[in-house]
Parts: sequence; structure tokens; C-alpha cells
Amino acid sequence: MSGYLEYTFDKFTFKVATDRFYTPEGVWARADGDQVTVGVSDFLQQRNGDVAFVEVWEEGSAVSVGDEFANIETIKVDIELPCPVSGQIISVNGALELEAEVINQDPYGAGWIAVVEAADWTADRAGLMTPEAYLEHIKVQAQEDAE
Amino acid sequence: MSEPRKVIIVPCSGIGKTYGSVSREAAYEVIEDLRPDSSQLVALSMLVLGEKTARDAVACSPAITIDGCKLACATKMVKESGGQVAQDFAVLDVYRRNRTLKPKGIAELNEGGQQLAHVLAEEVSEVIDNLQGDEDA
Repeated sequence: MSGYLEYTFDKFTFKVATDRFYTPEGVWARADGDQVTVGVSDFLQQRNGDVAFVEVWEEGSAVSVGDEFANIETIKVDIELPCPVSGQIISVNGALELEAEVINQDPYGAGWIAVVEAADWTADRAGLMTPEAYLEHIKVQAQEDAE
Repeated sequence: MSEPRKVIIVPCSGIGKTYGSVSREAAYEVIEDLRPDSSQLVALSMLVLGEKTARDAVACSPAITIDGCKLACATKMVKESGGQVAQDFAVLDVYRRNRTLKPKGIAELNEGGQQLAHVLAEEVSEVIDNLQGDEDA
């Protein structure tokens, strides 16, 4: 795990892990070769509250960029998560079935959601936000939420 | 033999929050219907304000807290007020065990929320019975 960028707004501090890429919705992707682990950002989990349940598409499911690959139910909202990468889901974090709160506790680590065997990671990565860009994005979102 | 002390119930004060509403509905059901003779409600806001009657109540009797989120304000305030938390409940944990009872609504809970509040109230009542039983022993 590398470092974090941080943004403090009011009483909240949001961390952005610097070793991965992001969708504007707050889904992160971290590649190890063609295997891309995906999860949700600290901003997304803090913004939406305690996670009650997580449902992830089954291993073997084909996904495309922007497709829903999982949904999470929090105490505030139900969120459909868009996949940041095209390919096939090869692994799902089974721990989330019994302990969905891990997403709140460790969104960049133990709270990972799935691993996708990417069809073309290089191409998909070009459409994602860098940590620096995502940090700027959440600054705007946090401001808008407060208005 | 003296009467067992009433168990203090302190629910979440989150107004405008669904899970806060579930916690309060559960507390109302306990003190009004299920265990009116053995439980007493203390408003979290009174503890926050440092109101003497409320602080004395939690300082002198076992308390059950019902929190609407992980901030656990009810539990924290009882402890900060010198009280002893006999059992802390979190609405989310009860919901995870009863997934079909999805709560919605704020001012007025949906049926799932009302049923979830009832399940929670039953669980709180069991704890009250155990606490009262311990005092009788």
C-alpha cells in the first residue's frame, strides 16, 4: 500500500489512495498485471454511511466499463456500482457477505469488492481518474453536498 | 425487599434519519407497551444538555442504549454522564439479522421499519428481564 492524499472538509477527512485509479462515482481500480482489484473510495463510504449489505455479481460474470457489477445498501441509500474495467469477474470478496462493515473500516484494503480479469486494462485505465484528479473531484462534491 | 430499579432506555436522537426513527420507535414500544413498569426513557438530548434529572437517572440505574449509526452517540453520552451501559444495541446490526425488514421513511416508518422496531423492542425487553432478574437474585 502506498500513501494517501487527504482532503479535510468540516469534521471529515477523506483519503485517496495513490496507488490506483478512480471513476467519478468513487469506484477504485488497482491493477496487478491484467488482474484488476476494484472497490469503493473512502469518500464514497463516508458520504453514504454504514454499509448494511453488499451484493456482487458472481465469479465468471462478464462486465464492461460502466456496467453495474455490485450494489451496496447503506443506512442512507442503495448504490449501484459501475465497473471501472471490462473483463470477467474472477474473484469476489466473500468476507463482505458476513461483514459488510469492512467496507467502512478499510475501503482500500480488506474492503475490496472483486477482482476482474481485464480484457484491455491499458485502454480502460485511460478513462479513469488519477488520484490527484479524483481528489479535486471530491473537493467539488463535498462542497456541493454542503450547499 | 425493594423494587428493582427501572432500566433506563436511551435511543438515538437522530431526527430526520430512518435508523434513528427505528431506534426511537423501539424505545417507545418498550416503555409504553412491553415493559412499562420496568423501563424508563431518557432523552439523549437531555444528557447532551447535562440536565440533572437525566444524568441522575443514568447514574443510578443500568442503561440500555439504542444507536442509529456507528457514531454511537447514545452509548457515548451515557458513559460520559457517569452511567453504566448494560447493553448497547445498534439498529444496523438488528437489520442485518432481519434483512427482509428494510426500514424506509423518517417521520413515518414503512411497514418494514415498524416491524424492525418491534423486533428490536423485543430484544431490548429480553435484556430488561435479565437485568431485573439479576437484581432480584
